[in-house]
Amino acid sequence: MRKIGLFFLFFIFCLIPRSVLALDTVEPTTNFYINDYADILSSETESYIMEHSVALANQTTAQIVVVTVPNLDGASLEEYATTLFRKFGIGDKEENNGLLLLLALEERQMRVEVGYGLEGILPDGKTGRFQDDYMIPYFKEDNFDEGMLNGYKAFFQEVATYYEFDGEVDAPVENEMSENDTFASLFTFIWVFGFSGFMIYILAHNSRNGRGGRGGFYFGGPFFGGRSSGGSSFGGFSGGGGFSGGGGSSRGF
Amino acid sequence: MKKSTMIIFGVVAVVILVIAMLAGSYNSLVSKEEKVDKELANVDVQLERRADLIPNLVNTVKGYTSHETEVIDKITTARENLLNASSVEEKSEANDELTTALNALMVVVENYPDLKASENFIQLSDELAGTENRIATARRDYNDAVTSYNTSVKKFPTNILAGIFGFEQKDYFEVSEGKTEVPNVEF
Repeated sequence: MRKIGLFFLFFIFCLIPRSVLALDTVEPTTNFYINDYADILSSETESYIMEHSVALANQTTAQIVVVTVPNLDGASLEEYATTLFRKFGIGDKEENNGLLLLLALEERQMRVEVGYGLEGILPDGKTGRFQDDYMIPYFKEDNFDEGMLNGYKAFFQEVATYYEFDGEVDAPVENEMSENDTFASLFTFIWVFGFSGFMIYILAHNSRNGRGGRGGFYFGGPFFGGRSSGGSSFGGFSGGGGFSGGGGSSRGF
Repeated sequence: MKKSTMIIFGVVAVVILVIAMLAGSYNSLVSKEEKVDKELANVDVQLERRADLIPNLVNTVKGYTSHETEVIDKITTARENLLNASSVEEKSEANDELTTALNALMVVVENYPDLKASENFIQLSDELAGTENRIATARRDYNDAVTSYNTSVKKFPTNILAGIFGFEQKDYFEVSEGKTEVPNVEF
């Protein structure tokens, strides 16, 4: 009798349709908002994004998530982005106010995917223009860290303004690299040469006076390095169950 | 006496259980059908959105070109076909036709650097690409819903109920391979 019962149960289980997982994407990290699987972002950028996204989500429920992956495993960027967006559940379940910035390193592709609720303030055309203006010029020079941070600021500002977010909002740098580049490199050139000239002069002067090695020049320290613990102190964040219908735009670089 | 009462109770319990199961299956069929309809409505919204973008695109292209009427005519016709399509099959065909026509346009656009670089055109291309992706997503969701529904219709014991109450299998939103690919440019 019990055997028949068990068989019957098994039979019922067989009738329950299994959900089909079409595509495998990366899993959300415990930080949720920052998932640097391609390992191209600095800890400063990561903690900046983490702090801002957490503050924004706490105040407005809108979630901005950054994901970098080494490659897409043969999937198309768009399908990968939509699947990942839904798996993470970015944004509030009711408001669907999630935003995903996804970079695939090997494919050299970037996609901004917008949840239903943010499509009004971030139509596809705008997300494309933001990428062109704030991110792609950096990515073309392999400067992923700065490009992602600058693009994040641009999108963050847009969402924060819409929700009248009460907190720190930084404006992104409008990109005019082609014009600034020559000037910047010239400036660096003069600065480096001028400074090293000055250094040589000081050193030479010092050693002549027999006081070599006592110069109090110190580089690095607080300006470079440091803050390596970055976003690791955060944890336990998760998506609000937001949904995306595939809105947004993609770019190659 | 006591034994027969127990048997009656047992029979009643089994009957109730069977009815409950049948009702459950019926309800799940209904909700699955609803889901299919909902997802199809989603696809329709995106198809319409795509059709709505076309006049703007055509006007922008016309502003920069003068003798590309053939390509533009094809797009306009395809758009009308899409708006007039009613069945799922017609819709997917008309959508493919529009994709082909738009791809032909994108090839032509290569000859007009000013048009290609214009802010208006870039924005429209993004909107179009975004809508195409939305259609792809909605189509996937619709097909998933159809798979789940069709499986129920075919599987025992829901197939009996489906037969009695006239639940029929639904069409997939097919996408013809090859048509979605960008055509090769020939010189």
